[in-house]
Amino acid sequence: MAFHFNWSPLIADTDRVRQMLTSSLNKSPKPPIIVDDILVNELNLGRTPPSLEILEVGDLAEDRFRGIFKVRYEGDAYLTLKTRVQANPLNTFLSTKPTFASPNPLAAGSGLTIPLQITLSDIRLSGFVILVFSKQKGITLVFRNDPLESLKVSSTFDSIPFVRDYLQKTIEGQLRVLFMEDLPAIIHRLSLRVFDSEGRSIGPSGDREKTDDFLAASDIPSPTTHDPSAPSTMDDGSSAEPVFPFDIPTEMYATFSQKNLLRLATLSESQRTLSLFTPPIRDAVFRARACAAERDELNEDHATPLQRPTTLSALQSTLGISTISGLSSASSFASEAPSYLSRPSITSLPSVSTTYSLGSGSRRSHPTRKRKNRVVNLRRHRDGATDGASDGVSISSGYEDSVSRSESASAYGSTAPVSAEDSTVPTSAPATSVHPKEREGEVDTPHVSPKKKRDLERAHSTLDRVISSADGPAALRPSTPQYLTNPQMLDEDDTPRASIYVTAERNKPDRVPAATTPSEAARLSPLPRSASELSISDLVSAFPMHGSSSGGILEQAWMMKMANEIAKRVAEEKHRHGAKWQQPDASGHGDAPPAYVS
Amino acid sequence: MLDFMDYVQNAFAISTGWNPDNSYAALTITANNLLDFYLPRGLGLRVAALSSPNFATSYTLGSAGVVDGSLSFLYSSLGLRVVGKSSDVNLRQLVRGYRHLQQLKAPPESIEPLSDMEGSEGRVWKKDTLLYGRLHLPASTLEALYLRRLTPTRLLRINCVSDATLPNSGTVLALLQNDYGKYSTEYLYSTDSSLLGFRALYNFGYDPRYPVEQQNISYRTPRHPWDHQNGRLSAGAEVYFSPVNKSGGMSTGLRFTTLPIHSGFPYTMTLTLNPLMGNLSSSYAIKAGPNLALCSRFDFNVYSYESDVVLGLELWRQRSTPTDVLWAKALIRPDWPPVRPNEGDTTAVLKARMSDKGKVGALWECRVKDLLVSVGASLDLKKRERVLGSIGLEVSYST
Repeated sequence: MAFHFNWSPLIADTDRVRQMLTSSLNKSPKPPIIVDDILVNELNLGRTPPSLEILEVGDLAEDRFRGIFKVRYEGDAYLTLKTRVQANPLNTFLSTKPTFASPNPLAAGSGLTIPLQITLSDIRLSGFVILVFSKQKGITLVFRNDPLESLKVSSTFDSIPFVRDYLQKTIEGQLRVLFMEDLPAIIHRLSLRVFDSEGRSIGPSGDREKTDDFLAASDIPSPTTHDPSAPSTMDDGSSAEPVFPFDIPTEMYATFSQKNLLRLATLSESQRTLSLFTPPIRDAVFRARACAAERDELNEDHATPLQRPTTLSALQSTLGISTISGLSSASSFASEAPSYLSRPSITSLPSVSTTYSLGSGSRRSHPTRKRKNRVVNLRRHRDGATDGASDGVSISSGYEDSVSRSESASAYGSTAPVSAEDSTVPTSAPATSVHPKEREGEVDTPHVSPKKKRDLERAHSTLDRVISSADGPAALRPSTPQYLTNPQMLDEDDTPRASIYVTAERNKPDRVPAATTPSEAARLSPLPRSASELSISDLVSAFPMHGSSSGGILEQAWMMKMANEIAKRVAEEKHRHGAKWQQPDASGHGDAPPAYVS
Repeated sequence: MLDFMDYVQNAFAISTGWNPDNSYAALTITANNLLDFYLPRGLGLRVAALSSPNFATSYTLGSAGVVDGSLSFLYSSLGLRVVGKSSDVNLRQLVRGYRHLQQLKAPPESIEPLSDMEGSEGRVWKKDTLLYGRLHLPASTLEALYLRRLTPTRLLRINCVSDATLPNSGTVLALLQNDYGKYSTEYLYSTDSSLLGFRALYNFGYDPRYPVEQQNISYRTPRHPWDHQNGRLSAGAEVYFSPVNKSGGMSTGLRFTTLPIHSGFPYTMTLTLNPLMGNLSSSYAIKAGPNLALCSRFDFNVYSYESDVVLGLELWRQRSTPTDVLWAKALIRPDWPPVRPNEGDTTAVLKARMSDKGKVGALWECRVKDLLVSVGASLDLKKRERVLGSIGLEVSYST
């Protein structure tokens, strides 16, 4: 495939190119023979456009592109440079030598500077160009090889062979530097300037609209009861909450851009509202299950967990959203299934989605819920210390999953292949929609990998601790404070809650009324502010029954959200009352989420 | 101000009877001293010692942007009896100004055969040697110099520089100088691109090799129109060629300078021409008084029409005669002539130069107690926003 260039408008605007060339030619240290600035006097791109041949297109989307081209140019472009050179070879000889061993000529080294005009013509280029375009990072253009094939340098000194050869050599060297180093920098800077001005116009509201449009246009399988307007109602309900829960992490992860923050906010929002929209987030891996231990128990304890695969698969994207975070979950998933990241082809999808559905279809048990809470807790960053702690915990849980998955997944696949396949069908669509982002992140953001590696190491280090703690469920149980909060919520509005639990328990395959609950809950969420510690602790005993009986993902997500809310209120109350309350996360059980111990 | 090591090397040359002025390379030494003097930059400290007549050491510390320094050692096979103390050294020998050339002396071997020298002067002609090395830190540049008086008319000079940044990480320059009084020749070779060079200087008029004429030098009749009795006309040329680069250079020069028997104020005129590059340079320097010298130089390139004019002056400050006894002398001995101050009794010197491009340089060098202080500044009047180019202060102490 080849390009047809509309070459004539390019010829018109050469002033800027001339300025940039001038600055780039004068940037590098000039040889001593050139004693003045190099001015680009004339630049003519000629009438023959270069030929461009696509060799490979690595990535193609609306806002990004990656490809390899073959460039060939045999046109009649020419370039005229003006400068002043030292014509006395002895003068340049002396200027580069140490004075101590200089022959100190009396007048033989006197200078003679001559204005020089150099014309570069008959430029022959042939090379492979890697072009990477993305809206955030601008255009990156790299020559894979030295593109300069030949060049004719004609100057004022053509009659002197020594000077001519020297000039030819020097200019060729400078041009090679220009092509290999300066030109990519120039193009990158230029593109950044262009895209930056574009990007500034899109504010947060614009982005929101865009995502909503995207949501409407996307063909993500959504539950019948899903209301696209849920995010807005959610916002109205929880106005006391910060709109972007990721505001605090920006301080920690300074590399987070405004756009990514918006996406993460949208993500958490859609999670709260059960919206199935998954905003594209680069360098992030979407995971269906919150943690792994639940599936282990599922495989071991519950013999038939496949009763509601279809519903769960529909809900799974929501759940996946709940677990995703650019900070830790991605890395945990990397530790889980590195092959998934390294092998971006669609063939790997069925297996992945199968595991997703397996996890989502599992019945919840207590340690599971606790771990999941940790993941959710990620989004509630109070300070750097708690962030780090919660990160480590969530990663470790994910890693444990990988350990257990290796044997359990195969075993499970053999026992119930049909239902697993059933579940894959609806899930494959959101999974594929996520896919290209990961690829792109892999391609042009290499700086992420060190962080991943670091997290992986941290996961390894925390793995032992977590596993040892996971041995005794009794040890884990005290550190599950969301039990306190949810029953309290039940107390506040028992009617809708009870109905949900009943439906979830009895009629697991179609959990239709579940979608209505979050908005209601959000509306009611300000209420627990008045809740005292005593009332919460009283209700602790009541909750586990509910937890074991319900076990639905929806409830899980909802409860986690509410638990988050209440914990936040409690924390606020605490802060209001004074600093006598200790931060519980550091002391006692180290893996406990800080917010819920109260 | 001369570096102490240069001062010692100069003393070595004079002690061995070598005339450094009789060389084409020194044709414009007066103009160079008055116009191209070195301006200190930043802060500098120099400590030097002539610990024995044969051995000298010097340490320098400078802070022009970065702190750097150097260690240098010098060995001379000939015992040098020069004043090393900075409190006693003659400032006129340390600060080069107007160079008042003396009448040419005949080389020793032309007066007497080498074998007779032993008896006449009681001194055996030795092939005196000077070794000198300097290590610059932290650049780790090593400079070495080897000087050897091969014969009374011949001097071998080898300069070496070892530096990792140089191609071949070093360079060597070998220079063989012959001085026959009437004329002198120099051959040089540099390892850097195999540069070969030849320099020659010829003095018209008086020939020191025929001492018969020396006796009635002031009464002899001029033999040709340019045979001046009060002055000396010299002509010279230099040629360089590098077989590696297939490039070279050359220049010719003329100089007329007055000799001490000249009754008027001394003056020196030079004219150099680079025929390859079309460069013409003429200079005129006069010593208007015992303490004042003026110089001007005009450069012009016939190919590029580039021109440059530089003006310079040097002003010496003498130690004032004690005024408290003047009244007594006026009363008792009014017929005594006023005492001529000794030339060596200078305390300070001011040098200044200015070019038509607005570049001004000023240097003040004086003796403060036992220290020699040199303060310099360069200005650029054309640059409105940044007139002061650089400023520097150097303090030297030697024993």
